Amino acid sequence: MTTSYRTCPDVGAWRAWLDHEDRPADLGEHLQTCPGCQHVLADLRQSAAEVHDTLSLLDPTRSPSSGDIALARERFYSRRRQAVVGAAGSAAATPIRRMARLSTRWRVGASGLAAGIALALIVAFTPQGGAAAASFLAQFRSQQVAPVEITPQTQGQIIQTMNALGNLGTITSPGQTGPTTRPGAALRGAAEQVRTVTLAEASQAVGFAMQTPDPAALPAGFDKAPEVRVMPGSQVRFTFDKARAQSYFQSTGHADVNVPDKYDGATLVVSIPTAAVLEYRNTVSKDAVIVGQAGELVVDVEGGKVTLPEMRDFLLSLPGLPTGVVNQLKQIQNWNETLPIPVPVDQVHWQTTTIHGNEGLLLNDNSGAGSAAIWHAGGHLYGVAGSVKANDLKRVADGMAVH
Amino acid sequence: LGRSAECQKIALGGVLSVNGDDTSEIGVLKLEEEPGQGLVASRARFDALFDHFYAELFGLVYRVLGDDRMETEDILQEAFLRLSEEVALQSHADAEIGAWLRRVCLNLAFNQLRSARRARTRLERVGRLEQSIDAEPIGPSALILRQEERTAVRTALAQLSRSQRECLLLRHSGYSYVEIAATLGVAVGSVGVLLARAEHAFRGHYRRQNT
Repeated sequence: MTTSYRTCPDVGAWRAWLDHEDRPADLGEHLQTCPGCQHVLADLRQSAAEVHDTLSLLDPTRSPSSGDIALARERFYSRRRQAVVGAAGSAAATPIRRMARLSTRWRVGASGLAAGIALALIVAFTPQGGAAAASFLAQFRSQQVAPVEITPQTQGQIIQTMNALGNLGTITSPGQTGPTTRPGAALRGAAEQVRTVTLAEASQAVGFAMQTPDPAALPAGFDKAPEVRVMPGSQVRFTFDKARAQSYFQSTGHADVNVPDKYDGATLVVSIPTAAVLEYRNTVSKDAVIVGQAGELVVDVEGGKVTLPEMRDFLLSLPGLPTGVVNQLKQIQNWNETLPIPVPVDQVHWQTTTIHGNEGLLLNDNSGAGSAAIWHAGGHLYGVAGSVKANDLKRVADGMAVH
Repeated sequence: LGRSAECQKIALGGVLSVNGDDTSEIGVLKLEEEPGQGLVASRARFDALFDHFYAELFGLVYRVLGDDRMETEDILQEAFLRLSEEVALQSHADAEIGAWLRRVCLNLAFNQLRSARRARTRLERVGRLEQSIDAEPIGPSALILRQEERTAVRTALAQLSRSQRECLLLRHSGYSYVEIAATLGVAVGSVGVLLARAEHAFRGHYRRQNT
């Protein structure tokens, strides 16, 4: 083809040429014979290179890994559910607006803590607890808390492994119309039944007298009257299905995982207590201090053939669980009464603390802008979290009492 | 940072109510039961879209917001939330969804940049985030220099027209002319000239700042 351009191509055509986006042959032929266009192209090339180098200063230092993405996706679902629940409790609020106001740093921490509950389903079973009874072979009752350090990567692995549980058997929950494939779905009913109540109603719902902070211990500017919400307890039952589990393992390249016959039909029963949350707001700054209280998380094994330690060993051996986390879980003493709280150590600092004579955890995000305390006392689980410094939050926790 | 009541609700929900096991397929089920609520049409489809677009959108938004992975994630979460409510859109071709997501992300990111509150917060925490999140082995003097360089880049970008600025960022993020055109709502044939003019203008502004 001969050069067909009566006038030179415009700068856009040459820019596309430079990027190999559009390279018609006649354009190349024109370039061979047109010094003006050669000059334009050279200038475009230099400009593009210079701009590219300059804009590279804005590039992320690292791209999200597949683990980061998996974690982000799980956070998305978790957060959206929270938004839906929140919206249900406040007709004026919209899920989108709520989402936009959340702090990622806190959400990371919260997500880690939330994952702890899922983790607890596994951790409840530790090898040290050898003795087992007959039908209720052993039992886990949360009586204290312990930190388990995790990273975004290990957290993602844990979540993915937990999600895979549905492939190993059947998960059911009372009130649910049928089996599901994921533990989260089994908890859906309870999560969506959050309701606003009075303090007395909350005490009745959780089964013990609710404690409240000393109003004088609340940071300045916070309303002294909290909004009280209750989420009813629920129960999740997970029944192993050997054939299904082995099929799943084979399909995922883990054919070497052996599921002993006695696990077939064994049922893991997780009883989640009713929880109540008091929310104290600062209407000006939008800060909040949240106080939560619940009974014990109880885990049983039914089925008569498998002991709780055996079940725990099997769960901890599931492909995909990060070794470092598994080792931390195995080292927990008093396994059958310790609720592990995963702490995303890249985001959150932790330290042990004593609250009302009970050992607990004090967590604060690395910026110092938010903190949380978690402890067990008298068979109840307590937590305080807020966008306040750890010392201020500890004061709120220490002031908790039945008023 | 950590300033909202809702986020702590989640924290407590996680600790105390076993409300956040992060395995939710709730949205899917809710949609099946209540289509009018407008949630994801298919968990598998939505997951695939999430996994496919997340990393590239992360890079795009990160370049807009600047050195803030958390804010970037906030924007992405918001964008995917909006996508989850666009049930019909989820069945469209990936290319169309990608353009839609990029448009939403750019709008959200630039809106966020304009927020005076965010600007104030960023001033307070930028140094800390640089060190704690990216965790690069970088000394204080190098850190300051890098921040100054980035500030200069952003200042130059801010002086471009919106379409020029977005075109530059999209191209630098690796998008093709077809993808850029779909995102900006312009003809593919006009991307070249838009890009060329954007680069010329940017180079001029940037040079003037540094002289």
